[in-house]
Amino acid sequence: MTSPLSASGYRLTASGYRLTASGYRLTASGYRPTAIGYRLSALTALAIFLASCAPPDARQASVSPTGGTLVILTAGDADVLFPPAGSVTTSADVAGLIFSRLAELTNDLNTVDDAGFRPSLARSWEHADSTTLVFHLDPRARWHDGVSVHAADVAFSFGVYRDTLVASRFGPNLAAIDSVTVRDSLTVVYHFARWYPEQLYDATYHTKVLPKHLLDTIPPARLANAAFGRAPVGSGPFRFVRWDAGTGIEVAADTSYFLGRPKLDRVVWRVVPDFGAAVSALLAGEGDALAVIPQAELRDRVRAAPDLRLVPYASNGVAYVAFNLKGRGGRGVHPIFGDRDVRRAIAMGVNRTAIVRSLFGAEGEVPVGPTARAQWIWSDSIRQLRYDPAEARRLLDARGWLTRSSDGLREKRGVPLRFTLLLPTTSRARQDAAVLVQAQLRAIGVDARLEPLEFALFEQRSAQKAFDAVFQSRTFDASPVGILQLFGSAGVRQSNYGSYESPIFDSLAARAIAAPTRAAARPLWRDALGTLNDDAAAVFLFSPPFSAAFQRRFAGVSIRPDEWLATVAEWSVPAQARLPRDR
Amino acid sequence: MSRLRGLWARFRARRVAVVGLVVVVLLAVAALGAPLFAPADPLAQPDPVALQNRPPSPEHPLGTDRFSRDVMSRLLYGARVSLGIGAAAALLAAVIGAGVGIAAGLGSPLVDQLLMRGVDVALALPRVFLLLLVLALWEGAPAGVVIVLLAVTGWFPTSRVVRALVRRLREAEFVQAARALGTGRWGLVRRHLLPHLAPTVIVAATLDVGNIILLESGLSYLGLGVRPPAPSWGNMILDGKDQLFGTPWVAAAPGLALLVTVVAFNLLGDGLQDALDPRRER
Amino acid sequence: MLTYLVRRLALAAVTTATVVSLTFALVHLAPGAPFLAGAEGRFVPPETVARQRRSFGLDQPLGTQFVRYWANLARGDLGESFSRRRPVADVLGYALPNTLLLGGAALVLSLVFGIGLGIAQATRAGTWADTTLGALSLALYSVPSFWLALMLLLVFGEWLRWLPLTGMSAAIGAPATWAGRTLDVLRHLVLPALTLALVNGAAIARFHRTAMIEALGADFIRAARGRGLHEGRVVLRHALRSALAPAITLAGLSVPALLTGSVLVESVFGWPGMGRVAYEAIFSRDYNVITAVAVVAGVLVALGNLLADVGVAWADPRVRRT
Repeated sequence: MTSPLSASGYRLTASGYRLTASGYRLTASGYRPTAIGYRLSALTALAIFLASCAPPDARQASVSPTGGTLVILTAGDADVLFPPAGSVTTSADVAGLIFSRLAELTNDLNTVDDAGFRPSLARSWEHADSTTLVFHLDPRARWHDGVSVHAADVAFSFGVYRDTLVASRFGPNLAAIDSVTVRDSLTVVYHFARWYPEQLYDATYHTKVLPKHLLDTIPPARLANAAFGRAPVGSGPFRFVRWDAGTGIEVAADTSYFLGRPKLDRVVWRVVPDFGAAVSALLAGEGDALAVIPQAELRDRVRAAPDLRLVPYASNGVAYVAFNLKGRGGRGVHPIFGDRDVRRAIAMGVNRTAIVRSLFGAEGEVPVGPTARAQWIWSDSIRQLRYDPAEARRLLDARGWLTRSSDGLREKRGVPLRFTLLLPTTSRARQDAAVLVQAQLRAIGVDARLEPLEFALFEQRSAQKAFDAVFQSRTFDASPVGILQLFGSAGVRQSNYGSYESPIFDSLAARAIAAPTRAAARPLWRDALGTLNDDAAAVFLFSPPFSAAFQRRFAGVSIRPDEWLATVAEWSVPAQARLPRDR
Repeated sequence: MSRLRGLWARFRARRVAVVGLVVVVLLAVAALGAPLFAPADPLAQPDPVALQNRPPSPEHPLGTDRFSRDVMSRLLYGARVSLGIGAAAALLAAVIGAGVGIAAGLGSPLVDQLLMRGVDVALALPRVFLLLLVLALWEGAPAGVVIVLLAVTGWFPTSRVVRALVRRLREAEFVQAARALGTGRWGLVRRHLLPHLAPTVIVAATLDVGNIILLESGLSYLGLGVRPPAPSWGNMILDGKDQLFGTPWVAAAPGLALLVTVVAFNLLGDGLQDALDPRRER
Repeated sequence: MLTYLVRRLALAAVTTATVVSLTFALVHLAPGAPFLAGAEGRFVPPETVARQRRSFGLDQPLGTQFVRYWANLARGDLGESFSRRRPVADVLGYALPNTLLLGGAALVLSLVFGIGLGIAQATRAGTWADTTLGALSLALYSVPSFWLALMLLLVFGEWLRWLPLTGMSAAIGAPATWAGRTLDVLRHLVLPALTLALVNGAAIARFHRTAMIEALGADFIRAARGRGLHEGRVVLRHALRSALAPAITLAGLSVPALLTGSVLVESVFGWPGMGRVAYEAIFSRDYNVITAVAVVAGVLVALGNLLADVGVAWADPRVRRT
């Protein structure tokens, strides 16, 4: 956007420039080599650029069983590749290929049974007693710099994740583990405070194993900022190659990986901040994979493309509107949302199916509660409030919120039924959904005002409980334990922003977590979530459809819902399908 | 009076300028009369599932966007925002600029130097960066704040021009005469200076409107201007950008509207300028 | 000439200092703070937030922080980025060259386009070709740059598939040779640079047209024609020199717009430049990066103005005497 007025007194007009009072006149002043020479050569150069749009020269594809480059298009650049510290999905994705865990979940995400895990850095494990878990490391495991993986690395990693100076966001998840001790160079022991079914999950899922020999000399407070986070050394199937900030990251297969070298040669992340541009780039062949495509029209375009395919997988995200049951700041009772019937009425006034269909087409899902289909507690038989605007109106009338004739909004003793919904500007889906919710609530006489805030401010206001209703979104871990944080009484000072407190819900959830098998736990979870929905603590609006898009030449692709790249070491490109850039 | 008639004659002689004036008037009418002309409520979502992204049709002359809202209605209501903010900010900037310019022109050399050096520094400030910064840091600014910000960052060129003009007029005979008669400073300004300054200031303001409209649309495109669901041409382009390749009209229509509007204001401003300054060459 | 330069440099220094101080004040006075957001809404305990604030010196009074910032700046230390956990100089070091590349290319192209169009119009002054070209330049001058970018993307990226859609280069390590990589970057550069060049070039063209017309009507030109010089030489060697001043002025003045305003074009094309960095830093309240961007913006703006004035003074010796 240029300014037409210049500092030295010219003014721009339709016919050229104008002298103003503070300007000066031009007259002849001699010779000057022309601009035309430069102009012609510039134009010639431009023509050459455009003409050179031929594809890069094809190379003879090598006919080896392994090979191929996977180019992933991602919206955000990684922030740091030090696993305890990264807070952007790209960071987690990249770290997932470079670092390993002791054991990995299989694709069905069974976090309760030991059979749901496969060996990774640990070759085997056993429960010595109800509070002790012993891991035996695979002696073939090596760091990318050649040093063997030692049990001390595991103990060191646990210490780093728990260190308050590092302040890893996974730290609180390790609260149930008392300590980790080293028995010998290949044996490490986890000590728990008490028995519970997900001990193996907690011991393996949250922590990646870090190289003690490279990190223990760095003061913990500086670990996240150290150079290691920009050039990490791990023990996973891929090794770090390069990171061009703002442009992309490259990792290459570790040919000596002890569980067998990956079938791909390289994985590259390209940063494309604009989502529409990312899809177009995918369609144009400038990239190979895209993790999620929420919009239905874009999914249709991908489906129509002959060289792409969509791989849908269970969603692990839920977006919900949480009501503040207390007053602002968490004290007292909220004039609107403190009333259970009013909450139920508002929940019944929202047509969640229409919102999901409008935003995501046929593949979106209406959540049954604070859980996603990727979690094993998902069940269609969980009690929910139906969309019933007539009943909503009846309830509101019964509670004294009567419609006034002037504009159709409700009020009670002169106070209008109006509230503000907080949402972050970073989420298009939530912004769109909020607009739809606003229109639907208007139809039953409720005035919802939208207040989009930038992310940090949004988080601050949520934590301070300075809101009426807040549009939150969560990506869930494989385990449902996190639900207690969101809606249990214990989480009121933390993630339970709405201050929902129900002893019934607390006890049902606690019993469900302690249940020894999934079969025993499921009915308890069903009841707990049903209680939550009956009380309308929140309106669970949508679970975005997770569909990854891939170039068809990739074979063996399977997706683990919580980490879509978990099985990438098994993906491959058959020799005859390889492109020149797959060299 | 004859001066005005002469002005009008000169203005009318340039056809493009008249076209600009006509278009601006039409836009103003469309914006003011949006409730009359719009086929639908710009916020209404008749059917967010079935009527999303429909191409132009008799009920929806410019189609629907992804919430099934009528694009034509949103365009008309958006005109209110874009034109309103543009005109108000340009006017405010002109007033501030003229005020400072007069103060510098009539004041002592010290005041003059101080003000103009300040303007020099201010002219060099990166306007877009600062606007971005302020609007992003203080979220949810109402339209009034946006107008004030745009005006406060844009009055500097006008002040320079006004100051130079005032300096020249100060030496003119009629001003000397008025001073000799004992006219106070304020009377001087009101009766003698303003009529001579008015044309220049009006032209500056008119030419500024286009620029401000573009700035506001850019800020809305970044999500910093008018808040959804209220329509503004900039945030309509933002809404339509993801479906650009499938349903281009949602983003194309507001862009074309912006183009036409800014062209019209530029033509109008040029026409006014040419009419007021017969020294121009052709 | 020397005193002139010194005066301009002093002005540039004052301007930069003003921009940086203003940014510093705005950023620290704004609501919201860094470190509060964990990933995807994970709760961050207040003790962690407090500790991180302390480690960056954010719990000190504002005046102290201000002084310390300037002291560090004098030593060339731009601080550390909160969200990217690396020195700010690193962050800028990646982004600034990309923006300069885009801005430089746009500047050159806009001068070429603008001067060329101005000459074309001036030599056909009064004809329908002049009017048509004038309408074209008016339209380009009035169009929103980000919308033009989207339309160009639609036409050349999607419909015609001639040019790449996004980013500065293809997947990392795609072309191996230096020439291949350069060509790749140049192909990605075309659309964003073209967008900026068309809009700025149109502005330059409008100035340049009148300047050329005026120059072509001057006495010495008539004399040259009378001497029988070829028309092309007349136009280009004699008239152009005296008409260049407004074009150069405007080009110099558009440097700040090319750089700080390019945030829109960079966002449409995914160009990894300063605009993107500034935008993300503002939204994550990364104070050090924001103030560093202000420093760079101030310096570049001052440079642009300086270049414009120097360029004009060089083109027209009579100006130097003022």
